[in-house]
Formats: sequence, C-alpha cells, structure tokens
Amino acid sequence: MATKLEKSSFNLGRRVTLATGVIILSFTVLLGRLWHLQILNGAEFRQKSEHNRLRPVFIPPSRGLMLDRNGKPLVKNRPAYSVELVPEDAPDPALTLHRLSRLIDEEPGKLDERLRDTRKRRKFEPRLLLRDVSRDVVAKVSSRKFDLPGVMINVTPTRYYLYGSLGAHTLGYIREITKEQLELPQFRGYKPGDVVGQFGLEARWEEFLQGVRGSQLVIVNASGARIGEYSYEPERPGHDVTLTLDLPTQQAADAALEGKRGAIVALQPKTGEVLALVSSPKFDPNMFSGDVPADVWKELRSGSGKILNNRAVQGVYPPGSVFKIFSALAAIDQKVISPQERITCRGGLPFGGRVFGCHKREGHGPVNLYDAIVQSCDVYFYVVGQRLGVDRIHDYAVRFGLGKQTGIKLVDEASGLMPSTAWKKKYYRDPANQKWHPGETLSVVIGQGAVTVTPLQIASSIAAVVNGGKVMRPQLVKKISSADGGFLDDDFPPEEIAHAAVDESVLKLITDAMVGVVNDPKGTGKRVRMERFPSITVGGKTGTAQVVALGAAKHEHLEDHAWFVGYAPAENPEIVAVALVENGGGGGANAAPLVKQVFEAYFLSTRGAPEQQIVSAEGAKASTSG
Amino acid sequence: MMWNAAMEKRILRTFDWPLLLTGLLIPLLGLGVLYSAGYNPDNNLRMLFGLIDSPASPAFSKQATFLLLSLVVMAFAMALPPTFLHRVSYVLYGGGVILLILVLLFGTVVNGSRRWLDLGAFNLQPAELMKIGAIMALARYISKYPPSNDGYSFTQVLLPLSIVLVPMALIMRQPDLGTALVIGGVGALMILFVGVELKVLVSGVVLAVAAAVPAWMFLLHDYQRRRVLTLFDPAADPQGSGYHILQSIIAVGSGSFAGKGYLQGTQSQLAFLPEHTTDFIFSVLAEEWGFIGCASVLILYAFLLYRILRVAAKSKDLYSSMMVTGIASLLFVHAVVNVGMVIGLLPVVGIPLKLFSYGGSSLVSTFFCLGLVLGVSMRRFQYLRGAR
Repeated sequence: MATKLEKSSFNLGRRVTLATGVIILSFTVLLGRLWHLQILNGAEFRQKSEHNRLRPVFIPPSRGLMLDRNGKPLVKNRPAYSVELVPEDAPDPALTLHRLSRLIDEEPGKLDERLRDTRKRRKFEPRLLLRDVSRDVVAKVSSRKFDLPGVMINVTPTRYYLYGSLGAHTLGYIREITKEQLELPQFRGYKPGDVVGQFGLEARWEEFLQGVRGSQLVIVNASGARIGEYSYEPERPGHDVTLTLDLPTQQAADAALEGKRGAIVALQPKTGEVLALVSSPKFDPNMFSGDVPADVWKELRSGSGKILNNRAVQGVYPPGSVFKIFSALAAIDQKVISPQERITCRGGLPFGGRVFGCHKREGHGPVNLYDAIVQSCDVYFYVVGQRLGVDRIHDYAVRFGLGKQTGIKLVDEASGLMPSTAWKKKYYRDPANQKWHPGETLSVVIGQGAVTVTPLQIASSIAAVVNGGKVMRPQLVKKISSADGGFLDDDFPPEEIAHAAVDESVLKLITDAMVGVVNDPKGTGKRVRMERFPSITVGGKTGTAQVVALGAAKHEHLEDHAWFVGYAPAENPEIVAVALVENGGGGGANAAPLVKQVFEAYFLSTRGAPEQQIVSAEGAKASTSG
Repeated sequence: MMWNAAMEKRILRTFDWPLLLTGLLIPLLGLGVLYSAGYNPDNNLRMLFGLIDSPASPAFSKQATFLLLSLVVMAFAMALPPTFLHRVSYVLYGGGVILLILVLLFGTVVNGSRRWLDLGAFNLQPAELMKIGAIMALARYISKYPPSNDGYSFTQVLLPLSIVLVPMALIMRQPDLGTALVIGGVGALMILFVGVELKVLVSGVVLAVAAAVPAWMFLLHDYQRRRVLTLFDPAADPQGSGYHILQSIIAVGSGSFAGKGYLQGTQSQLAFLPEHTTDFIFSVLAEEWGFIGCASVLILYAFLLYRILRVAAKSKDLYSSMMVTGIASLLFVHAVVNVGMVIGLLPVVGIPLKLFSYGGSSLVSTFFCLGLVLGVSMRRFQYLRGAR
C-alpha cells in the first residue's frame, strides 16, 4: 500500500491569502452589525434592557399548620410585612437608607449593615432590610414611597404560635437557614434567607411543613413596577401536621410548671401517643419571626437557665424512688423475695463499713413488698438489691426502656444511663475502677448512684408497666395531611417497640402497690388524688432524688429533685403522667400536685364535666370528708 | 521515528506557539463568560476538591474539567502521524455514517431530536464525530484527485460533493439542521478552496437558490420556517419565536461600547434565554463587555483561523493541507453562523460557538482538531521521512 502522501501540486499560498480575505470580510460584516447594534443604537437598547426586563419573584409557600389531636390549631401563619430594597432602582442607596432610618427611627448604621451583607448579590435582587415590621412602619413607608426609590414593602406569611410559649420546646421554632445548613443534603434547593424549622417538631417535620416555593418571572419596567408576567409556577403549601397533643392537658401541664424548672410528660399507655410535653423554663417562639436581640439570643443559647434544653427528653436526672418500681419487678419476677416476706426497717442498713439510711430516720418497722412501695422504704430495697445484684436490676429496667432512647421523633434525645457491671468495665479505662462494688448496687436499687433517666423515659416505661409490659414508642404526630385534604400518611399507627416478658401476676402486684401509694393512708402520693373525680382511681409512685453535690456547687442546687409518675384510671389506664421539678424537694409534696392538675384537665376534656364542683379551696376541704 | 535532542530542539523552535496560545485563550475567556452566565450567589459549588466555595454554576466547573481533559486529547491528536490519519480517513468516515444510521434507529430522543447514542457509560453524539470524519475523507479524496488549474468540472465535483451530502441527509433526518448545514458548509468551503470551474460555481449558486423554494416547502419543519421568518421581523412575534432573538439583540445592543460590567448583565442573568450558556453565550459576552469585548474575541478567532490556514499553506503534503483547511472551515462556519444568529443576521439554527460555548464533547472534539493542526505544523519539515 502506497503510504507516501501526495505533494502539493498547486499554489496553496495564494488560496490561503484568498481564504484569509474571506475570513476578514465575514468578520468585518459581523463587527459592522455589532457596531450598528452596540455603538449606533447602544443607548436605545440599554434603555430597552432596563425597561423591558424579567425579574424573578419567589412566592413563599405557606407553611403547614400544627393542630392538636382534636384539630384545634396550635400553630398558624399570619401575614408579616418586610421592608426591602432593590439597589438597582435606588439611584443613591445610601441616601435612601438614610431617609428610611430617619423615617422609622432606626439606627442609621443598621440598615447599611444589612445591605453590606448582601453585597455579593446582583443589583436587581431585593435585599431584606427589616423583617416583620409593624403596620405603623408600613403606613409611614408607603406614604413616603416617592422619597424612597428602590424601597418596597413585601408581604410574606409568618409563623404564629397561637398560645405563645405553650409547648414551645415541643412545637419548636423557625428561623433563617444557616450557612452550615445550606451545605447539608436535606436542605438542597433552599436559598439563603429561607426560614426553616430549627427546633422541635418544626425542625423534625420540616420537609412536610415547608411546602414548595412558587416562582414567577414578571416583566417590570424601569421603576420596578410590574407590567406583565412571563411565566408562573404556583407555590404548593406545606402539609398540615395533626399532633397527638391534647390542648387542655398541655395547657394544664404548662400552667403547673409555671415558675419552676422541670418537665411534664403525659401519654396514652396503650398507644404511646403523647398528650402533653412541657419543659420549663420556656420561651415564646413568636419572637423568632422578628429580629431577636443579641442578648436575648445569647441568654437562650448559652444562659445558665438552659432555656432551649427540652428537659422532658434531653434532661437526665437520677430517678430516685420512682425507680423502685423496676427493682421490685425484678425482685418478685426473679423470686429473690416473696410478696409477703417482711424486712424490718430500722431507719438504715449498715453495709460495707457505713450505714445506708432510709428517708424515714425512725424506720418503717417490718415491711413487705406492698408496704415498701407504698411508703417508699429504702431499707427493704437495700436488702432486695443485695439479693438481686446490679445486673438483674439493669436487665429489668432495660426491658422497660430505660437506659436507651425511646425513639420519639422530636429532637436529639438523651438516652440516660442504666449501670451494670459490664457498663462499668467499658466506661472506666483504669482496671482499678472497673470493679463493681456491692455498695453501688444499694444506690442503684433506689434510683441513685449512676442511674439517670429522662422524664419521657419514666413516662414511657411506667406506661409499659401498666400496659401489660408492652413498651410503646412515644409518638407526637397523629397524621400528616396535605392542604387539599388528601392524606399523605394518613396515620401513624401505635408502634410496640418491645414486650417486657414479665408475668401478669407480678405486674398486678406492683400496680396494686402503686394504687396504694396514692390511696393508702400511709401512701406517699396522696396529693395526686382528684377531688373533682372521686370515682377515678389513680395509681403512681413518688420520687425524691438526691442531687449529688459536685465540688463547689451552689447551695440551692443541692435541693432534691421532685418526681411523681401517675396513671389513671387504675383499672384501665388512659393516661400516664410524669412530673419532674428540678430541686423541687420531696416528690409527694411538690410533684404529685402537678400531675393531679394534668389529670384533672385531661378528664375534664374527655369526660366533659367534673363529677364534683369545687367552689373554693375551703369548700374543697369541706367536701373531702366523704 | 526516533526522538533525539536535535529534533526536540527543532520542534520547540518550530512549534506554533501563537496558535496554541490563541486556542487556549479563547476557551479561557469563554470560561470567564460562562462563570457569569451561570453566576448565582446562592450556588455553593465546591471547587478544587472542596477547597473553595464558589457561586459558579456546575456548568462552569464541568467546562473547566473538560478543558483540562481537552489538553490531553490535543496532545494525543498531535502524536498521530498524517500517514496514519490518511490511512484511517475513509474508515472513520464510514464508521461515522454507520453510527448516524444507528442513531436514527436506536438513538435517544432529547427535545424532539434523535441525536444521541446511549453507550451506557456516556452518551455519544455521532454527528460530532462525523464532522471530523467528513473533513478527513474529503481531504483524502481531494489530495488523491486534485482538480486541474481550472478547478473541478461538473462531473468531477459530484463525487466529493456526495461525501458531504450523505451525512448531511442523515443528520437532517434527526433532525439537526444546524449540524447538517455546518457539514455542508465545511464541505463547500473545502471544495471551493481547491477550486471549481466558474460555470460550476455559478450554477451551484443558482441551484442553491432554486432548491431553497422546495426545501422551504417540504424539507423544513414549521419551527424552522418560523425562525427564518423571524429574522426579517423579530418584533412580529415578541413572545413567540421572535422572543429569543429579540431579547438577544437587546442584550447585545445594551452592551454599548464598554459593556455593563462583569456579572452585571441583567438580560443574560435573568434566564430570558434558555441557552445562554451554550448557543447564546456570545450575547452574554456582548452585554457585559460591550463592543470592545466582542471585537477582541472576534479578532482572536480571526487570528486563530489565520494561524491555522498558515499551517495549511506550509504543509508539504496536500492531505494535511486539506485536513487543516477543513478544520479552519469548521471553526469559521461555527463562528460566523453562531455570532450571526446571536446578533440577528442569520436564523436561529442552534449551533454553539466552538471553544466558547458550554459543552464538553464539542470542546474535546475541537481540541482534537487543534491537536491535528499542531501535529501537521510540527511535522512540516519531515513529511517525506514520515512515510514508511
């Protein structure tokens, strides 16, 4: 095959010159046309481009509502007015801002700062200057419109929490998306300036509540006025979320904790549906729709009150005597003691060279299981604890859900701690500290020592005790529905996460004793009894958890935590409620009355009317004779 | 052939640096304009392996990546000896035709056109390959049967013409009018370059005009007819077919002498043009950089074309000359048709501005062509020894 390439036989140079001429000619034509468009008619086209232009307008979707279990709205939207500036329409932005500051008595520097923050954006994009301004400001700005070129008033739906701080920790709040969040995959498609759920249910169900932003390309003239519409993509409102919360019960729990630090959780034992979930101190999520002053924000985030901490699910506390329920279950089920066996309490038990005291210094005398629970005798449980050993106590507590997260879909949940010999080996690196001391068992068996729980865990685990051992996942959402009424996920069925295999008869012994705690003359929880519903029997357990003094802890923090967990009606429980008051003192005196308030509100809302009217506090005393 | 120090020295000395630098400068400027066209402060594009966050569009980083890949492809093309290219010309052409038939049978439909072959790992656009195949086949034919001093006669011109007419017809079927016209234009320019008899030229023009009428009536689709009509009166239907061209003209015109400034083009940034990163990228340039920017880029193109033609003139074998001429024609047709379309001189046929528009495969194939040109340029002193 001949691969020698043919030599050029004719004059390429002449042809290249010709081709170059063609190129120059063609490009000259193009440049001529460009000259015609850009130089001769440039000014006209420049004006045209300014007069006839498209501007993207985003239509924020209205966020889904949150309703209580009976459809009463808890969170809605309201129109909010914001003041914005389009730099392109403001010939002298500094002057406009200066006038605007004067007009509405705003610090002059603040608006400039707002504008500086958005420097990178394009000139025709509106900049947010003031969020959620009053109608007064709207009126002032509107009336001076012609002195304020580039300034516009925009109306956007804003979150409105109907009951203010009620259930703030549960409902959560929304706030502008952060730079860090914009990087996350779940916030793909969000833009800076979008508001998103940042806390509580608002954050947890963000993807359903948010809705889809609509967009519109509008044709505007030089002064920014709309002269036509080019394309329109309608917004889609967010889905409504119906919660399991019961508004009256939630309100009662909220009122009960007023002025205290602590938490209340109420739920349905059979379904795990949460009826009330309150943490105190609280905040008003409505304030996040406007600008939150820096000092308020700092106090919220890092103040000593830990206001944003949802104590019901994130707070961990020693359970104190409430824990004895699980110790007793373990003891009877493991048959280390018979229900009838009596142990004599002399106010303390010498062990390992020291005396483990009972809360009743003079002693309870000989007590059996029932007496020990009703009167919350520590010595009885010290003895039982020695017979059981820590690992069997751990086993039973874990079966009912302690020491691990309940799986409630709300926020990062604390798991608490349920110690065991295995835990200690894992937790301590130094072999000298890894050994479990029998004395520690004596602390654990009465809910002290290393044991910690969240109030929600106590509610959920006691619910399992009164529900035949079925541990239900605590749920806050009943259903999610789209705004047009079509169900997306029509319900969230009760979810059994574990079944603590404990004999029915054993559970019966324990619940009988819990009824005794409230109704026995010697019971520690008498103050939960509902005078207004005498026919409804309440069961429960008190707890007074000692707070371990760490180093130079302040004196007031050494006061005990008050616990009470109760359920009613005893024969067929509809509600379990737990109250925890930080440093509140004795549980029977300081936590049981709070649970009573919750119970009464719940039964008032479900039964319609109280069985007995109580006119006044004195009248109440008189009427309890029967 | 063996490399030695003397050869290396000669290659460095004779290497066409101006051609390479111009060929690199244009896509770099294109990247700058593409950055603006896709600019959105809301973008948080991770670039340089996550080192920086940038408001550029994903298209920008994709194009930058393809530019790097293109350099590798260009180096590869430079290494191909003309003898080898000469040998595979018809094979490549035949392969291209077969792929075009396959695409008509099995291609994926995008926007109503069947242009892509889905090869699993990537999509192949056979028309892009066909451009190179047609250039090489025509170059081989012309170098084997060059015309006499008078140019090709009627009978002589039929065969080289059919080399471009076959792929043209296949591409028209997709339908992709723009690419078909590009191949036709490139073929016509190559044949005119070596010359045709005057009567052939005259009757060709007459025939083209005469063919335009039935083509208008039977070959063109409705939307294509509208685009041509729009050219004469864009304002007739400002919301419909005239919309893009009108907005493009406003964008270009509003750039005035010095432009509105980088990233400040209101027309281009507002998505009024659906193809403002590809076919209409020149109007972004025109709006933001004005007449100065447009003239600079056009002069760069003219200079690049001149350097390529210079390589064609200096090459000692006709095949290489014709191949290089074909590549120059390709860039020329793309530039003139695209810019002409953007500034309202030619109908909207939807072809990109080579080296400037966003589009990975177009960029890679163009750099392959530039590599071929540089390869020819490098070997101009050893063309005979190159043959084994």
